[in-house]
Amino acid sequence: MAGKSGRTITNVPEKSLKKTLFCWEGMLVVLFILINIFCAGISQSYQFSNVLREMPKYLTEMFLLFPMAFILVLGEIDISVGATVCLSATMTCMASNKGLPFGMVILVALLVGTVCGLVNGLILTNFQELPPMIVTLGTQIVFRGIAEIALGSGGSISLTNADGFRMIAGKVGIIPYIFFVVIIMAVLFSVVLAKTTFGRSVYAIGSNRLAAYYSGIHVQTIRLIIYTVMGFMAGLAALFLTSVLYGANTTTGNGFEMDAIAMAVFGGISTSGGKGRLLGGIISGFTIICLRIGLGQINMNPQLILIILGILLILAVLLPNISAKLNVKKKA
Amino acid sequence: MKENKSVLKKITDSREASLLIVLIVLCIVISLRSPSFMTLKSISDMLKNNAVIMIMTLGMLGVLLIGGIDISIASTLAFSGMSVGMLMKYGMVQNTFVLFLIAIGIGALCGLLIGLIISRGKVLPIIATMGFMYIYRGLAYIIANSQWASAENLGTFKDFALGSVLGVNNVIIVMVICYIIFFIVMKWTKIGRMVYAVGSNREAAQISGINTANVELLVYTVMGTLSGLCGALAVSIYSSAQPNMLYGREMDVIAACVIGGVSMTGGRGSVAGALLGSLILAIIAKALPLVGIEAIAQNTVKGVIILVVIVLNVITQRMMDKNNLKGREM
Amino acid sequence: MSDYVLELKGITKIFPGVKALNNVQFQLKKGEVHALMGENGAGKSTFIKVITGVHKAEEGEMFLDGRKIDFKGPRDAQAAGIAAVYQHPTSYPDLSVAENIFMGHEIIKNGMIQWKKMNEEAAALLDQLNADFKSTDEMGALSVAQQQMVEIAKALSTNARIIILDEPTAALTKNESEELYRIVDKLRDDGVSIIFISHRFEDMYRLATRVTVFRDSQYIGTYDVDGITNADLIKAMVGREIKDLFPKPEVKIGAEVLKVEGLSRMGYYKNVSFSVHAGEIIGLTGLVGAGRTEVVESVCGITKPDEGKVYLEGKPIQIKQPSDAMKQGIILLPEDRQKEGLIMSWGLGRNVVLPTMGKYAKNGFNDEKKEREISKQLLEDVDTKAVTIFDPASSLSGGNQQKVAVAKALGQEMKVVIMDEPTKGVDVGAKAEIYQIMGDLAKKGYAIILISSEMPEILGMSDRIIVMCNGRVTGELSRGEATQEGILELAMEKSK
Repeated sequence: MAGKSGRTITNVPEKSLKKTLFCWEGMLVVLFILINIFCAGISQSYQFSNVLREMPKYLTEMFLLFPMAFILVLGEIDISVGATVCLSATMTCMASNKGLPFGMVILVALLVGTVCGLVNGLILTNFQELPPMIVTLGTQIVFRGIAEIALGSGGSISLTNADGFRMIAGKVGIIPYIFFVVIIMAVLFSVVLAKTTFGRSVYAIGSNRLAAYYSGIHVQTIRLIIYTVMGFMAGLAALFLTSVLYGANTTTGNGFEMDAIAMAVFGGISTSGGKGRLLGGIISGFTIICLRIGLGQINMNPQLILIILGILLILAVLLPNISAKLNVKKKA
Repeated sequence: MKENKSVLKKITDSREASLLIVLIVLCIVISLRSPSFMTLKSISDMLKNNAVIMIMTLGMLGVLLIGGIDISIASTLAFSGMSVGMLMKYGMVQNTFVLFLIAIGIGALCGLLIGLIISRGKVLPIIATMGFMYIYRGLAYIIANSQWASAENLGTFKDFALGSVLGVNNVIIVMVICYIIFFIVMKWTKIGRMVYAVGSNREAAQISGINTANVELLVYTVMGTLSGLCGALAVSIYSSAQPNMLYGREMDVIAACVIGGVSMTGGRGSVAGALLGSLILAIIAKALPLVGIEAIAQNTVKGVIILVVIVLNVITQRMMDKNNLKGREM
Repeated sequence: MSDYVLELKGITKIFPGVKALNNVQFQLKKGEVHALMGENGAGKSTFIKVITGVHKAEEGEMFLDGRKIDFKGPRDAQAAGIAAVYQHPTSYPDLSVAENIFMGHEIIKNGMIQWKKMNEEAAALLDQLNADFKSTDEMGALSVAQQQMVEIAKALSTNARIIILDEPTAALTKNESEELYRIVDKLRDDGVSIIFISHRFEDMYRLATRVTVFRDSQYIGTYDVDGITNADLIKAMVGREIKDLFPKPEVKIGAEVLKVEGLSRMGYYKNVSFSVHAGEIIGLTGLVGAGRTEVVESVCGITKPDEGKVYLEGKPIQIKQPSDAMKQGIILLPEDRQKEGLIMSWGLGRNVVLPTMGKYAKNGFNDEKKEREISKQLLEDVDTKAVTIFDPASSLSGGNQQKVAVAKALGQEMKVVIMDEPTKGVDVGAKAEIYQIMGDLAKKGYAIILISSEMPEILGMSDRIIVMCNGRVTGELSRGEATQEGILELAMEKSK
């Protein structure tokens, strides 16, 4: 049934070298290099081996970036991840201190996280009228609250036996295991988001949920999966975090959601949904980590570092908006 | 359409009326268990200790009405309270009135900045206020510089919370004044109604000539101003200024609004609801130990309350919609 | 010159890359009802926005009662006595009717709003319009027709002398439209001058004394309604003659493909039964709110019915979600192409393959090359006016967007094709092409359900017509026996 007018449409995409080099990710790589030069400048001990040694503590947060990217592309948000990490870390320490075999301890960490994610997902998919921000605000309080109850009046717990944890904090040469896990997860999540039908569905839901539903996409199933995976990754992060901190307290995981969102948004993912790639988030994640290590090495007040991160988060969202406004003014 | 609604139905239709009933029932139940609850002194103490939360609930009402949110309020409070505390500690300012003005001013500037970022910069409120939550709290710590202002440093300032006018504690008077002002503004002034309009349908408001960006800027500035005021109040009430003041208590304010029937998506909510919600929350906090729930579980309880209330809201809305469908004769 | 209460000359309005209005003129006589017609994209909406001060024209002049005026914003236009009532009521659902009417110009004394007086004055305005609701009712609880009445009351409350109605009958039932006609008559009698935009010729014949036609951002002409015919109007709007608007081919009707039995969903429809055969086009019609879209959405898995059965080719099937229906070959073109049919920010190609990307994917990985080939083919088959498959759907006209939606449907395995108001907001040229496609599909043996509120369309394309009213099927007419009056009677069945 050919068209009457015989009109044809091209389907060959435009490719240009200039576009590839000057895209947002390219600029992020430049920023990464600049930040490293800056850190090396301000801190004598900013050397490759030192940085690698300090990385694991911050790398745990990268685990949260990957599923958070999916949630942001959906057009939603999850601010309970920090609390999930806290609860999972607390339970993990308790399980370990009770003498459970390390395999079980790992299971506890992942299970607690997954259950938290499942709670979020079940509430959100069964009560679709509720905005994710409010629901995860509520669950954030509950998860951290449960951790508080479990930790009791002391408010903290220390590992009595860190054998198993020392194992996962091991290295291959000078590169810690966590590095490899992060890279594997990064590749996994990026590929799923960019190249699979699942990922494409996530973009569809984020761009127009109703149209995606009418097109046969299983919107609620996808949402449930994503929030549950978010919980799982929080459990994974808690596991590695405990292997670095050897304990947990009521402030564990504080600010993790802010960091995850900051990394994602800096990397080009829009908070309104339907846009952005994970690659940028990964690059900005490493950039922020290097910055924190550098600033930590010169003994900068940790509160000041938090202030800087807060400013970075806001700038990350603000700058694209401002540049969009300026572009519109230019075109008109 | 049935014209004669029973009195009971009319009452349950009004969220505020239902809340009042819940409040009365709670009071009765608690005073049965603990007779000292309903004494004037006990009530006065409870109001004084919760005044800060209750006042900030008013600010949050405005923010939620336009469909926004602000989780940085406790940090703004700490920042302005700490500033005021340090000013007193180092003897730079002693006058209570001036200190209050400074605290209010700092709060207003904090809120103004947030409002600009959200209204002009088009940043999502949750993200903007998340960032500022850490920024302002960090500033509070930096100003404190590992110290804090204790009762000796505060001189006459701490007496403010102890003083009273006509037998009513100063702090309670401040709170009552705030509530009266808000009640009048939200119901009887153009600005108040504009807030409702923007929250109910932002596009329509924009088209009809209302400057929605400025309304947005206003509510966040007012929120900040109230947080600043509460910073000074908190320092006086607790007789100390510490950088971790009211850490995590923004959730109490949000819980109060949720209980008070303020819609999280904007357009619905009232000053009466804010008042009743924050009162009920305060009473629940007092009642928990009586049922054997220790203080450490308070946060969990608050979180569960928030979740239960918002889910119940959805369920009742669905039931109402279903009833409406039943009414459509086929 | 001063005979005209409103006059515009040489108006040109430019948006980045597009000339929305090109040297347009318009004259509105005092106390007349003047229709403004044209295809979608002809410039009517932009023109109205210039009159109401929302947009500022780059060139041209505007005169009110002979005096030159220059609006700096919508408030200036409102102060000058010009008000517009739009298709989608822009109102505040959580506020009361009175507050909606007086928003922006509340009755204030000493800085305080006078609620009692406002409620009373609003009630008086509502009385004028014969409204059946109170000024203290919540806006969100009103029906679309009632909300529109509030919008008109709002215009009256600002003492508007010129009222513009944008597609006023689009969302109204026949009764409500009659009520609207009465209101327009009264306004005209009271000395208000009215401009209205409508796609419906009945509106124009009933209400207007003159009609102005825009085409492609240009002013074509102004005609007396008295002497004009549909053909003349169409020619002015389209620029060419459309012969035989409804190319319904003769098709041999085959076996039953879809059967719906006793379908009910509380509050939406009750006891609906009908069947569709291969090669047959069923016209499902009724007034707005009759329940047609709701029935069809249940068949397609978007909503769930409370009772009833659906049979495909004789076998009962369970449809729990949209993908179930699609797997069975029941394909829907939704009513709202911008909200339900397409993703406006996406490219055409991605939109077209969205439901079938799983089919072409290898182990869950998208096969982008194959998708590009398929989407190019599908888009060309329906003759979409676009340059590349990467053009965003938002850049296309209404008619072309609908063609993309059709292409999307064609890319799937079809047994039953359901088109819900496929030509709503589509220009006459693209309409003809869509009817052509419908006929071709029938020839190929698919079963087709056409939902439409436009009588000519239903009569022109259907083999059988099923009429619904208030959620029930009230009658079935064959092509030969159906008349406009007959359908209307069934659509308005007075059962109470």
